[in-house]
Amino acid sequence: MTLTNENCIELFRTLVRAMALDRVMMRLIRAGKLVGFYHEGGIALAPGVAAGFFLSKNDIMLPHYRAHGLAHMLSKRVDVKLYFAEHLGRVGGCCKGRSSYHASFPADHIFGSSGNIGANFPVSVGYGFAAKRKSSGQIVMNCSGDGSYGSGRSHEALLMSANWQLPIVFWCEANGMAQHSSMEKLFPGPNISSLASGFGIPSHIVDGQDLFACAEIAQVAIAHVRAGKGPIFVECKTLRAQEHSVGGVNKAGIKPRDPDLMRRWRAERDPERLAGARLIQLGLLTEKEITEIHAAADCEADALAEACESLPKAMPSIEELQSAVYA
Amino acid sequence: MSTGRELALTEAIREAYIEEMRRDERVFLIGTSIQAPTFPHTNGLAEEFGEDRVLDTPISEPAMTGCAMGAAQEGLRPIVDYMYAGFAYYAASEAFLQVGQYHFLHGSQHPLPMVMVGTCGVGRRVGNEHSTLPYGTLIHHPGIKVCMPSTPYDAKGLMKAAIRDDNPVFFLWHTSMMMQKGPVPEEDYIIPLGSADIKRAGTDLTILASGFQVGNALKVAEKLSAEISIEVVDPRSFEPFDRETLLTSLEKTNRLVIVDEDFERGGFAAEVTAQVMEHGYDLLDAPVKRVCHPHFPVPGGYIDAYTMPTPERIEAAVRAVMGS
Repeated sequence: MTLTNENCIELFRTLVRAMALDRVMMRLIRAGKLVGFYHEGGIALAPGVAAGFFLSKNDIMLPHYRAHGLAHMLSKRVDVKLYFAEHLGRVGGCCKGRSSYHASFPADHIFGSSGNIGANFPVSVGYGFAAKRKSSGQIVMNCSGDGSYGSGRSHEALLMSANWQLPIVFWCEANGMAQHSSMEKLFPGPNISSLASGFGIPSHIVDGQDLFACAEIAQVAIAHVRAGKGPIFVECKTLRAQEHSVGGVNKAGIKPRDPDLMRRWRAERDPERLAGARLIQLGLLTEKEITEIHAAADCEADALAEACESLPKAMPSIEELQSAVYA
Repeated sequence: MSTGRELALTEAIREAYIEEMRRDERVFLIGTSIQAPTFPHTNGLAEEFGEDRVLDTPISEPAMTGCAMGAAQEGLRPIVDYMYAGFAYYAASEAFLQVGQYHFLHGSQHPLPMVMVGTCGVGRRVGNEHSTLPYGTLIHHPGIKVCMPSTPYDAKGLMKAAIRDDNPVFFLWHTSMMMQKGPVPEEDYIIPLGSADIKRAGTDLTILASGFQVGNALKVAEKLSAEISIEVVDPRSFEPFDRETLLTSLEKTNRLVIVDEDFERGGFAAEVTAQVMEHGYDLLDAPVKRVCHPHFPVPGGYIDAYTMPTPERIEAAVRAVMGS
């Protein structure tokens, strides 16, 4: 492994925290407290933790929408309390309560989100171009799912970033599903990363349930783009063990998805358990320490939700909103 | 205006680009075949500023618009050139929704300075996509400023204002005015977005017209000058819209014809009519009349020359309003 012992422990801690936040978000949406909708991260958050972990504050990130990017933001060391407040529609939310589910942390170079799948690709070209033009040393971590590669915008972005050799990591968290459709029906091949080869972009495939494998490949990808070698594509094969959007159907086309299979995934392929077992095996953490990490993460997530719920709802005046349209 | 030097409309835009790019190294151009160029306003710019600052892209409107949006968020000041403004519809999500609404929806924390440029206008026999004027669509979407010059002088001043603005601005220019000449001073000047201009003073009736249609309105005003004193007001920008100048004109004339080359349905003329009803109803002595493109697609062939607003159609509207 290229990861240090400290990296491994901190990556694990971040994954545990992210999954605790995801569980709290689920509790909030089921209680009718979350504004808008929620797309559970579940057992698919290891790639997001790996994507942000080795980025600097100045690097630009587009979080993936699953768990609305909490794993990504947490690992990039963004203050996710502001995002929680936003999702609860509160004063102090990162978008002043105007967006429901968008991230806005310009100082951390997370500029925002869009409701459109695929909207991340064109702006990532702009981030990469700006980084190159300014010779700032910044890189772009463009996170999305495999379904988003159905958008022509992804192909345009791969093309332009290859033409201009931009420092962009196309980080794909491939769960094999696009909303209620199976990627088997939507893409003519087993690996979405095969797209990259048509643009001369190198690619890697990694087990998205293996936190440390994801983190190692993130290091490789980040080093590649930071060295000015142009864009790179990483496909993390992950799993969606629940419906697309909380409360929606859990089908692939006309077929219900197999509940036993998803139960087995949760039992056998949970990245938190896999990573924890590995750390014990390596002698880096004891069972007791892992239990403490879990308890601290649950405590943090609960406290965060409680603090945000106690904030007043953002209900600005029409006049205030009218004056907020232009810079 | 001291030197009396004349430039074509596209040369005036080009001069604005050059002055702003020399002044501010954050400004760059991105578009399809702008290096060669397709239209004269980007002629020689890649040679002066470099091919990495005057960027030819693949035919990828969403990516070029998103690229500008991302670069602007990262501190640059892009100018996206769609060639024809109708091609911006390929990037409708970026051009109409995302760039204008980013600032507000993300808590008004971060500016998005970018200019979108495209030519438009009916009457060139090139059909719908190469003609359509998207300002009615653009003003429907919050957060985007929209302007269109009717003279080379205005073109330079409006473009410089657009480039210096901290918000997305869509700068439209009319294809039929590409080589139309007019005086343009060499010095630096700005025409603020949201400042209408009275192109001809009059007392009996106001014509509100933009771009190429300002010329048609002036022709009608001149032709009828012995019998009707027409004031021609050019809004110069559709958003922000200088309603005060129009209402001040109506205080004098009490009659309004709006010439709008865009489709009639739900367009700029309809919006201005509604605003005049809400804010200046008592000023009107006659119903407002619109002269627009009819509500069918911009045709090709020989047809578009008479389906667009023409001096004949404008004159008929003026006489109808004066007679009522």
